[in-house]
This record gives sequence, structure tokens and C-alpha cells, in this order.
Amino acid sequence: MKKKWVSASLVLVMGASLLAACSNNGGGNTPPANTGENTGTPEAPAKQTFTFLNYSNPSWPYDENWPIWSYLEEATGVTLDIETPPGGSLEDTLALTVASGNLPDLLFTFTKPLADKYGQQGALVNILDYVDQMPNFKAWMEEHPAAVQSAIASNGEMYIFPNQGIGETNRMIWMYREDVFSEHGLEQPETWDELYETLKELKQLYPDSYPLTFRSGLRYLMNFGASFETVGSMNADLSAVYYDFDKEEWVYGATEDNFKTLVEYMNKFYAEKLIPPDFLTVDTKLWQDMMSTNRAFVTLDYVGRIDFFNSALRAENPDFNLNFMAPPAGWDGGARKNAFTQVSQEGFMISSKTKKIDDIIKFMDFFYSEEGRTLVSWGKEGESYKEENGAKQFIETFTDVSDMRKKMGLSTDGTYIWFDYDAHISLASPELKTAYEQGPQYDSEQQPIPAFTAEEQEVLSTVGDALNKNRDENISKFIIGERSLAEWDSYVAEQNKLGVDKIVDTFTQAYDRTMNATN
Amino acid sequence: MHPADRAMPVFKKDSFARKWGRSKYLLLLFLPTLLYFILFKYVPMFGVVVSFKDYNLFRGIWESDWVGLKYYRMFFESPDFFKLIRNTFLLGLYKLVFGFPAPIILALLMNELRHMMFKRFVQTVSYLPHFISNVVVVSMLTLFLSPSSGLINQLIEGLGLDAINFMAREDMFRSIYVLSEIWQHVGWETIIYLAALTAIDPQLYEAARMDGASRWKQMLHVTLPGIRAAIIIVLILNVGNVLEIGFEKVFLMLNPAINGTADILSTFVYRTGLTQGNFSYATSIDLFTSLINLVFILTANWISRRVSETSLW
Repeated sequence: MKKKWVSASLVLVMGASLLAACSNNGGGNTPPANTGENTGTPEAPAKQTFTFLNYSNPSWPYDENWPIWSYLEEATGVTLDIETPPGGSLEDTLALTVASGNLPDLLFTFTKPLADKYGQQGALVNILDYVDQMPNFKAWMEEHPAAVQSAIASNGEMYIFPNQGIGETNRMIWMYREDVFSEHGLEQPETWDELYETLKELKQLYPDSYPLTFRSGLRYLMNFGASFETVGSMNADLSAVYYDFDKEEWVYGATEDNFKTLVEYMNKFYAEKLIPPDFLTVDTKLWQDMMSTNRAFVTLDYVGRIDFFNSALRAENPDFNLNFMAPPAGWDGGARKNAFTQVSQEGFMISSKTKKIDDIIKFMDFFYSEEGRTLVSWGKEGESYKEENGAKQFIETFTDVSDMRKKMGLSTDGTYIWFDYDAHISLASPELKTAYEQGPQYDSEQQPIPAFTAEEQEVLSTVGDALNKNRDENISKFIIGERSLAEWDSYVAEQNKLGVDKIVDTFTQAYDRTMNATN
Repeated sequence: MHPADRAMPVFKKDSFARKWGRSKYLLLLFLPTLLYFILFKYVPMFGVVVSFKDYNLFRGIWESDWVGLKYYRMFFESPDFFKLIRNTFLLGLYKLVFGFPAPIILALLMNELRHMMFKRFVQTVSYLPHFISNVVVVSMLTLFLSPSSGLINQLIEGLGLDAINFMAREDMFRSIYVLSEIWQHVGWETIIYLAALTAIDPQLYEAARMDGASRWKQMLHVTLPGIRAAIIIVLILNVGNVLEIGFEKVFLMLNPAINGTADILSTFVYRTGLTQGNFSYATSIDLFTSLINLVFILTANWISRRVSETSLW
């Protein structure tokens, strides 16, 4: 009982750092960048090995015999000596590794705030110090300013290599059961009013169903909100703040009138049982169950779920067809948008203690070349892929992306940075390909992610946390009907009193600093 | 200690060598426990120092900057401070008030059973839930109590009533938590009482029967006084754990609609401290909780010593 693993990991971290404290001489000074000197042609790259703390995904566990490693070795001469988290959690392992002071040359992280934190504590190299040694990266930075900006820490330094391409896998879209819709002569709804009518008809046809079902409780309200022109996050530990590109300022989303309109719809859906009564606790499993047993017909989730459901369920029901649905507009003539979720924060970090910094920099630069991009996305021409009429195609037939990952190691964590997403699309079913084609026209603009200083972070975890909690509690109650929507104004007042301004100011301040640092 | 122990006559002082010779194997047996406590309980205690520092993982504990009571102040000034303490305390209190007597009653009931096979069977079955992980227990709760497909709600609807959204009702959370907690652990916790029951001298029961005491009277005047010491020790220990509520289960049950009653100290520590890597903040809150627990246990011990002459020390 007790907070078993919480205190256990704390104890471990502390214990480890006690030991570490003795051997640590407070490193963290980045060696001065030596410029020039990077001239030799890369004909026969010198063989070398870097240690690398990487993640091993249980769905495609790390395999040292994957072809990707030999491709990389051939191209760069580098062999990666990989350790993976023993207990499974990369975050905990990173904390322990940093606290032990015994850092591998390269480290991997899923979240950028972690890179910023350890970077500012002195454990990681500031990549910007070495840009002059990376011709490919330098050119890439000019082409991808948004990606670069989102990799900058609050002090203007960069501790994680920015990525591009794989974020597409996080695209989230509306989906509907095309077979059920056409069977009953239903049309894709174009507005939320039409959505309401359609769901009601479905409910009549299938009384046991909850036609609109989604998982993760309130979180997807952010995605629904896109068509209501409000996109504040509804994630329990993130503030509902977003950047309004028209007004050019940060706005608090969860108290806006547009957001209220969305909540009113949800309240109506809840009352008429168009969404599950326990939508707050619908987890992935329950959601999958409902989707696959004709108890839900419209949903919103990651784009890859199209193939996930179709390929699993067509065995029993050949007509089963989950397909891309255009987001309904919040009101007549309103915008039809999906929230922009096509981002991935993960990436490589370089230890400040490494002795091979120049070689590592050269290695990392390879990932930002066209050659590197093709290699990590497709593998080797003639061996793993071929090119016909300008379109690349894998030679082996894979059933899906995870099959390809398991066999080739391509696009597994820590093997790529700049990614050609066509490699994944080439393995998709026709329905999924359509979704990828249709999706972008409904994209919202990508939200900037400002980097916060330690002080700002403290504001977010005190004032911000209280605000988020009050927000989630009340929005849930409004939807369930435990609190009347007539009290919306007093909810707004409560939120303001808890410090909406403070949070908006914090975001504005952090954003301005980032903008000043990169422009 | 039992009061009788203090009245033991003092023997002549043994030489150290003799004492050593007599107990060296016992000491050897004790050694692993000692090492365990030193390594895993006492050494890590120095870690509480990070709650007074701006803990920098890379620089280590000693190199990190001192910040005094900053993180304590941050916690006290947090708008949720009183709500968190209240939620944690009430949940712990209910668990104590309802969860503490349950295993005693069950143990007494089992003690009255005459059929040994049946008794063993009941005992085993009642232990079982203790070995089910919290993750599974919470999934079971969610499934059974689900308003759309849950068994309980199907029964309620079968009776012609409206389904109750149990897991999304603030006023239901504590009951669900405490009841499921009792179901999980009641059997396991009877062990200590059953052990104490075996130590009661059967002659006492014989004597009571001679005097014409009924089964009820026997239980009241023989059984209960017989396990009184065990009850009080367990009670004191439980009082000291009022604020120590298992993180996993509450965290798994938590959803925004019940934040008002279900957000407790440990979920708060997890959210604001650990997910954001703020170990100093997390440690300061934990240390503060431990201090309160210490006050509770000291008070309970003191009261118990005054009232019943049974105490931990």
C-alpha cells in the first residue's frame, strides 16, 4: 500500500544522487565550439561507437539485429551501444541516470520540458553552440523555423534536436461508420446541429447505443472546440490557454462564450444519452468495445485507428467501414476545423559529459540531410525499398506500420529525426490514405509551445493546477447536469478569481521571450 | 509492552561474552532486518533535505541551492491546501471508523464457527481479494458500477429506478472507496486477531460457562478483553496512518467530476510534483504529511496509555 512506487523511486533518486554527489565536480560547462575543420569528404566514415539511452517500445521491442542499425552504420560509421530502461519508464530512468552523473553520450526523451529541465541543470549540451559544425542542420533550421522554435528552452538554448514528419502520426480526426450511415440513408453532418439530429436518429435505430463515444474524458473537448474557434487544452495538467493568431495574443479558452456553446451541446447530448453516461471514465478498452459492437458510430481519435478497427473487424463483418469524417462546424457558416495535434516532442539529447562531442555532432547532422531522411524513413534503395515513377515503395509486403517496425526497426524510437511520412502512408489502407489526403484541409494552425522558466513553471503548478482542477470539475458538472448552465457566469467569476490573468500573463511572457530569442 | 514485563525481577548482570554466546545466532538472524532498515529506511531519510533545496538532479543534493521553506510556503499558499487536507483526512477517518472494526467483527464471527472445514474455507475466500491488484479492483468497480452496462445499474433499472452514475458522483466517492477497501482487506486483517484469539486460555471459557454465561456474554467478557491489546496496538498504528492513503487506488478512481472529494495529498503530489519532476516540492509535501501523522500517532498513543495502559512505547 502507501505511495509505494512514488516513494520508492524518490528514494532511489535520492540515494543515487547521494552517491553521485561525491564524484560530481559540478560539470555542465559546454566546451567552446570549434568552428571550421569540418571539411573531409565522408567516403569511408571512421568506425566509432556512442552509448545511447533509448526507449524500447513494448509493441516493437528493441532488437540489435534490425536492419536500420546496419544502414546507419554503413552511412555514418556509427554503432549505437544502446541501453533501454530496465523498469520500462523512460522518465524514471532518465532521472536516475542524470542523478547518477554517469551519463551515456546520447539520451532520448519523449517530452521536451524534461530536456529543458536537465539541460538547464547542466546535464545536456546546448546544441545551438554547435550549429556551425552542422551544415545540414543549419540549412534545415532555416526551412523549419516552427520546429526549431518549439525546441528552444526558456533560456534561449536548445537541448533537444527538433524533429519533423513523425508528428503526422498524432493527427486526430472525426470518424464515422460509413456502412451504418449509408444503410440508414444518413448524411455526414455539416454542423453540430446536424450532428445532434443525426445522433438522435442513430439512438432511435439503436436504443442501446451511445452514438458519439470518445475516450479520455474531457481531453477531447479541445479537439471538439476547434470548430467552435476555441482550442484551449483540456488536459488535466495543462492550462486551457491558446494563442489567438488573429488577435495576436494569448487567450484563456475554458471561459469563452464559444466554449460555453460547446458545453451546452455536450450537456444536451448527455441528457439525451447520445454520449455515454460514464464518458468521464470511458477508457481505451471500453471505447474499443463500444466501437466494435455497434454501440458507437461517431468518434474522434488518432487517424491510425481507421485501420486498427477496420482490419480487426472486417473478419466478422465484411461491411464494417470506419471512415474519415469532416469536422462539423460549430454553427451555420462556421469554421470546420480539427485541432492541430500533429506534433511530436520526442528527440535526442547530448550529454554534457561526453568526450566525443565533435563526432556526435557530425553524426546528428546526418539525420538532417535528405540522404539521412530517406535512409531512416525507407531504408536502403534496392534492399528495403524501390522507386517507381518517383514514388517510393517498400519491397517487402508488410501488413501494417507496426509489422514493418518489428521487422526493419525503421521509425522506431531513436532511429530517426527528420522523417518522410510517406513511408507510413504507403502502408495504409485506401480508407486511411483518404483520411491523410482529406485531413490537412481542416487543420487548425499549429499552436506555439512556449518554454517556461522555473519560476513560471511554479506559477503553473500552483495557480495553474488550482485553475485546471476547478475547470475540469465544473465543466464535468455542467455536462452531467449537476450544475446548471445558468450558473456559467459564476463559474467564469470563480475561474477569474483563481487567477486566469496570471496564467495568461505567464504564457504571454514566456512566448515573448521565446520570440525575442529566436528572431 | 505488557505491564507485567516491567515487574520482572532483575537478574544478575551477565557478562557480555556470555550474552553474546547465548544469542549470536539470534543476532545473525536479526542482521538482514537491521541492514534493511538502515539501508532502505534510515539512509534515505537524509533525502528530506531536498525539500529545503532547489534540487538539481545533475548537481546532486549537496550542490543544490538552499531555498529554506520556499516549497512549504508554496504548498501552504496553494488555493487547494485546505481542501486537500480535508479530503485526505476525511477519507482516512472514514476508512478508520468503518474499516477498523470490520476485521475484528469478522474474526469474532469466525471464532464462533465450530465447523473447522467451513471456517478454513471462509478464511481463505476472505483473504483472496487482498491479492488482487488495485488496478484490477478499480476496473472491476468501473465495470460493475457503470451506468451504461454495469451490473449494479442493471439491477437498479430492473427495479424501475434511474441508473446512478456512481463513479461521477462526488458524494459517492468516499463510500465506494471505503467499502471496496474493506472488501479488499478485511480477510487479511483478521489474521492478527485470529492469532490473538488462539492465545486465550480455554479454561476462561470453561469457567464462564460454569457461571452460566451465554455465548454473547462469553464473547463480551472473555474474548474481547483477550484481544484488547492487539486491538489497541492496531488502532494506534492505524491512527498514525490516517493521512497515508494509498495513491494508486484513488488516482485510478479519480475523474474531474469528483475532484471535489477525491483529490487528496498523494494525487496532488503526483500531479504537481512528480509529473513535472519537481522533487523538492513533492518531498516537502510528503514530509509535512509525515509530521501530521507523527502528531496523530503520538496523541493516540498518549491517550491509550492514559486510558487503557496499553501503548506502543
